[in-house]
Amino acid sequence: MQKILIVEDDEKLRNELEIFLNNNGYEAQTLKDFKNTINKIIEINPDLLLLDINLPEADGEYICKELRKKSEMPIIIVTSRDNEIDELLCINYGADHYITKPFNIQILLAKIGSLLRRTNTIGETNQKIETKDFILNTSKSTIEKDDKIVELTKNEYKILYFLIQNREKIVSRYDIMECLWDSESFIDDNTLTVNITRLRNKLGELGLKDLIETRRGQGYILV
Amino acid sequence: MNLKDFIKGKLLTIGLILFSLATIEIFLMSYSFGSFIKIYIPLSIIFFGTIGILVEYFIKRNYYINIKNTLEELDEKYLITEIIKKPSFIEGKILKQTLEEIDKSMTENVNKYKYLQEDYKEYIELWIHEIKMPIATSKMIIENNKNTVTKSINEELDKVENYIEQALFYARSNTVEKDYYIKKSNLKEIVNESIKKNKNVLIGEKVLVNIHNLDLDVNTDSKWIVFILNQIIQNSIKYGKTESEINLEIYGKQGKENVILYIKDNGLGIKKGEITRVFEKGFTGTNGRLSNKKSTGIGLYLCKKLCDKLGIAIELNSIYNKGTEVRIVFPQNSLLFEL
Repeated sequence: MQKILIVEDDEKLRNELEIFLNNNGYEAQTLKDFKNTINKIIEINPDLLLLDINLPEADGEYICKELRKKSEMPIIIVTSRDNEIDELLCINYGADHYITKPFNIQILLAKIGSLLRRTNTIGETNQKIETKDFILNTSKSTIEKDDKIVELTKNEYKILYFLIQNREKIVSRYDIMECLWDSESFIDDNTLTVNITRLRNKLGELGLKDLIETRRGQGYILV
Repeated sequence: MNLKDFIKGKLLTIGLILFSLATIEIFLMSYSFGSFIKIYIPLSIIFFGTIGILVEYFIKRNYYINIKNTLEELDEKYLITEIIKKPSFIEGKILKQTLEEIDKSMTENVNKYKYLQEDYKEYIELWIHEIKMPIATSKMIIENNKNTVTKSINEELDKVENYIEQALFYARSNTVEKDYYIKKSNLKEIVNESIKKNKNVLIGEKVLVNIHNLDLDVNTDSKWIVFILNQIIQNSIKYGKTESEINLEIYGKQGKENVILYIKDNGLGIKKGEITRVFEKGFTGTNGRLSNKKSTGIGLYLCKKLCDKLGIAIELNSIYNKGTEVRIVFPQNSLLFEL
């Protein structure tokens, strides 16, 4: 499991972030006191660092700059300072992303995911998600079962990926749309219906027609 | 300043000279001087006196005309003391000195308010920075406890966030100082960012979003444009027709010396007579008086003000009951582009 270190001085936000990241398949750790922050970060050596700018002992920009002299770990700055100059400064100091509070948590998650895939070799090899009845190839955007391969469009892939992540849980149409919108496919209600139908047909080609069930008034579920 | 007025001011001096001339003449008459002297003395006094008065008149006339003309040309009239030359005569010197002192005290007074405003803006920025923390935390808590109640709270938090943004940009729009940072930005990224920011309400209201032709670069502060777009998109949703679906079309066009961003909707539209007034502060119009709109008349006013500051144009066209089109025009200065 990939380790994410949260360096944030607001206790409540830190704890909620920790819960959220743990729920989403990461191993989250937090720093609770901010003396010798840089050494502590290096000691923990996380796969990715979430760093606040306003910290009690040293500021995040300085930490970022100093860390870069010693380590190449991915850094995402999370701050409530919302202006171009601060953003540019942080990027110049070697931060990989700059996210402003209050942040869109799905976007934060997507940025963490893409950053880890890019920097981590474990991510590279893990291009196939195996479920109990089919394989989702994330690099080719196809589904495979017993030598049969079906290609998915971008939106179909995203919907299926989201359903797999929430397998055996009901997801509402709203949740699916939100997920698609976060990745910049601004589809409408009708398009979603069309996409779901197509996805069902494609699963049908693999003999998995009834995998996505409709729950009237609630949404869909991947059984 | 004309000669008549000037001589009026010199009447006492001229009168006294004429009087002394008369007494001299009486004195000369009572003794037997030659007629040459009797004529030469009064004539020379009148001649040289007239020249003296005329020379003084022209010197002063030139000086004051110069001040008047410079003043007319100046946009910021209080800078006059920096420009006018030091005069050779005493009244001019006093005038210049007085003006300089008035200017100085005025500048101090103006600066006092400038600092006060700057100070207030800094406080607002700090406050906004602080208030974003509990909002971020609340949103995290909601994310970890998703249900219909928290989702509803989330929607309200979005509104709070928007009002806070508005306050921040309102404070920024009022300062003389440059608060923005111009850099090359991609229109698509800007538009995507603002659509994502408004996704909850856009999905909730079932808005059909159609974006295209946005792969264009503009030189601007993208954060400001995202804010401006937010206001426009929120207007499109707020003033959509209740009986039909809301369509929102956003696209760009490369002009000869500019890039134009179009934001089109099929909403209520604006009455013809009101279009010119939509950028006025506090103007809400016919649509604003509809029962559930809660118009403040701040959104578009702020957009216009921010656009002015950024040096871009914002234009609005609308057909009542058909829809509204907002254009944001980014000038492309070829010189700026090369930098």
